[in-house]
Amino acid sequence: MDGEELRLAIKRLLVKELNLKGRDPEAIDDDSPLFGAGGAAGGGLGLDSLDALQLAMSLEETFGVRIPDGEEARSIFRSVRAIADHVSQSRAPRA
Amino acid sequence: MTGLGLVTPLGVGVDATWNGLVRGERAIAPITLFDASGQRVSLGAQVGELPAVTAKSAGATRTVVSRTSVMAVVAAEEAIRMAKLDMRARRVGLVVATTTGGMLETERLLAAMHADAGLRRLHAEMRCHPITATADLLEEKLGPFVRARTIASACSSGANALLVAAAWLRAGEVDAVLAGGADSLCRLTLTGFNALGAIDPGPCRPFDRDRKGTTLGEGAGFVVLEGPERARARKATPVAVLAGWAAGSEAHHITNPEPGGSLAAGLMARALDRAGLSAADLDYVNAHGTGTLHNDAMEASALARALGPEVARVAVSSSKGQIGHTLGAAGAIEAAITALVVARATLVPTAGLETPDPALRLVHVPRVGRRVPRVRAALSNAFGFGGMDTVLAFSEVREDGPPRALPSTARAGVADPPRLDIPVITGAATFGPEGLFGVAACATALDAGGPRGTPVDADAYLDPDRARRFDRAARVATVAAAHALAEAGVEAGDCGIALGTAFGAVEASAAFLHRAFEKGPRLAAPAAFPNLVPSAPVGHASIYLGAHGPSLATADLGASGESAFFHALDLVRAGESDRFVAGAIDLASDIVDRALGPLFCEGAVRRRDEAGVVVVESERAARARGARILARVARSFEWRGGDVDAARAVGAPGGDGAEVILVRATPAAAAFVARTAWAHAPRHTCAPRLGEVDVAGEAHGAKTLAVAAARVGAGHARESLFVAHWPDRGYAVVLVAV
Repeated sequence: MDGEELRLAIKRLLVKELNLKGRDPEAIDDDSPLFGAGGAAGGGLGLDSLDALQLAMSLEETFGVRIPDGEEARSIFRSVRAIADHVSQSRAPRA
Repeated sequence: MTGLGLVTPLGVGVDATWNGLVRGERAIAPITLFDASGQRVSLGAQVGELPAVTAKSAGATRTVVSRTSVMAVVAAEEAIRMAKLDMRARRVGLVVATTTGGMLETERLLAAMHADAGLRRLHAEMRCHPITATADLLEEKLGPFVRARTIASACSSGANALLVAAAWLRAGEVDAVLAGGADSLCRLTLTGFNALGAIDPGPCRPFDRDRKGTTLGEGAGFVVLEGPERARARKATPVAVLAGWAAGSEAHHITNPEPGGSLAAGLMARALDRAGLSAADLDYVNAHGTGTLHNDAMEASALARALGPEVARVAVSSSKGQIGHTLGAAGAIEAAITALVVARATLVPTAGLETPDPALRLVHVPRVGRRVPRVRAALSNAFGFGGMDTVLAFSEVREDGPPRALPSTARAGVADPPRLDIPVITGAATFGPEGLFGVAACATALDAGGPRGTPVDADAYLDPDRARRFDRAARVATVAAAHALAEAGVEAGDCGIALGTAFGAVEASAAFLHRAFEKGPRLAAPAAFPNLVPSAPVGHASIYLGAHGPSLATADLGASGESAFFHALDLVRAGESDRFVAGAIDLASDIVDRALGPLFCEGAVRRRDEAGVVVVESERAARARGARILARVARSFEWRGGDVDAARAVGAPGGDGAEVILVRATPAAAAFVARTAWAHAPRHTCAPRLGEVDVAGEAHGAKTLAVAAARVGAGHARESLFVAHWPDRGYAVVLVAV
């Protein structure tokens, strides 16, 4: 799976798991903030901590990648691109 | 409060629990009740050995008694023993709070049923599944009770049981109440709270800088409450005085507390005010104090707001570091502990608190209990999922005359009975596959052909972003509640919501458990878990509508909606809330249709996603806003066991234009009506599906009530006797045109 494919798969997962009805996965921006205040209005998704838990679980289920707790998770969850980077790094064969 | 009984992880009985609390003991260890391996955290606060409690068998099938019910019976017996209460000499009511009910016993079966449709047949284990099973067992063991109610508002359930009891006593409807809560540990809650990352890897440490979550516990707490005059007249020995109370909804988020704690602060102030107390009179607060980052921060902030400068003096502790978070029982167990703190002038500690979080400026009671000269008054806080918060205020017993309690009488003079509000119905709505019906359509429900609706999916009425966490139950509940409020012409504002649900989120619980068993608890769905508590639809509706009143779920099998309506009547009469949306929801469920329904309710029913609700309001509030009043609720009657007294009390219709509306046209219901002065009034049974003849689900009573009220409002009847008659329980009201 190349980077673009992976990002699209993550967007589809976001829409499905967080029940973002009516949102087109392909229209989600790679770099927009996913969480926090002003999200939806500010072009992001406006997700919250309960979404983060659901997302972490479904990433683990789908890609076999564990999301660490705390600050590290915050950084991974800042955008679709950051999640995709974390997934591909975690899945890369170790040298 | 003249009696109390406790079953907690620290021990069976009040003294075992109290001694453990004061010594700072912590009953937290790896859970052995079920296989907890594979869970992120497998620690819990488990109750030790319990006596065997059996129930009458139902026909040929053995009745399984849930662990929740066993703990409830043991605690309730202790409370009645301490109060020396003679159940037959007095009108005693029963309020039971629980959230897990018989889940521990049925969860493997539910998970299996989800995977295999062939298994969806009757099982003896299912007998203890409905959360009403505990109330029914208490009735069997300790009754008779003149009324019994089962309520759930997640982690504030137990505190709400005491609040309901206070409302009944204040309205003079009973002489005494046995009120409390019970919840056993189970896989469902352990898995769910783990999925939410809400469990501390070690024993929980409320208010600590390093706190990482709560620890789940189990137990039961019951108390006997009675009015001060009657308690004194029978020379009972009061433990403490339940002097004030307040409940409301944050309407903020399904799992996260509102960070500033403004609603919780308002409730603490109201509970104190009701008790005729100020923060200066307060010596102790038993905090909700779960040990999660967010709860403890919110609660400290709410305490600072509510107590002002007194927060620097009033001792605060949480019992959860010792007994864990006992969920639906917590509010009742901790209320009993708070009453003991007042009675015994001894503060109980926050065990596990080693390094107080400097951001939470509270006066702690570290490690062990501490004797103090006096505890004049104390608060007990209970906050639940969906933002359903309840605060109780206790004060010490004063020998010199009436306690400062019972504020309504305090103002009016103790000899006068409190002035009660009169409930009226100002709105009604039903929602289901036939469409959304308001008052006008409900008024034509008995006409040939019935109302014509357009089937519309709930999505058409809901904002998809704000409703994205809704399950089917929350969707029908919210659409119906919003429409009823619109029909009543009023904003949600301070409205409370009470919805009956006979079996709770059965299908969703089965799916959640099946997934956890199949894929392992780590892959349980965090977002699904909050929807599994019985009060989740109410919580979602309150958040969506911005309804800040006291909200909860009720259950009474086939009459669950009626019990919710009666809950609203009680709280409006007692002045706890000016306005309620009350009714019931049904959900399409193969498990309920095939396994649970036939055991407890009707035979062959295909339940569907539907809801029926009315808006109940105090006549005073309705008139003040110039509302259209459909009907006044002139009289109400509920019974357990025999219906003879209720039939006698119904009274005669005032004149012409009376009708009888039956929820179920059974021979027993007809016999009931025949014994009243309404025997010759025209009698109707509402076609269960408003236009479609079929057997009804458990929301049918609430839908029928909407029809009865709408008919009086439309002038089809001047007066209406509404009867919901089940073999062993029933509800009736007289609705009158105004």
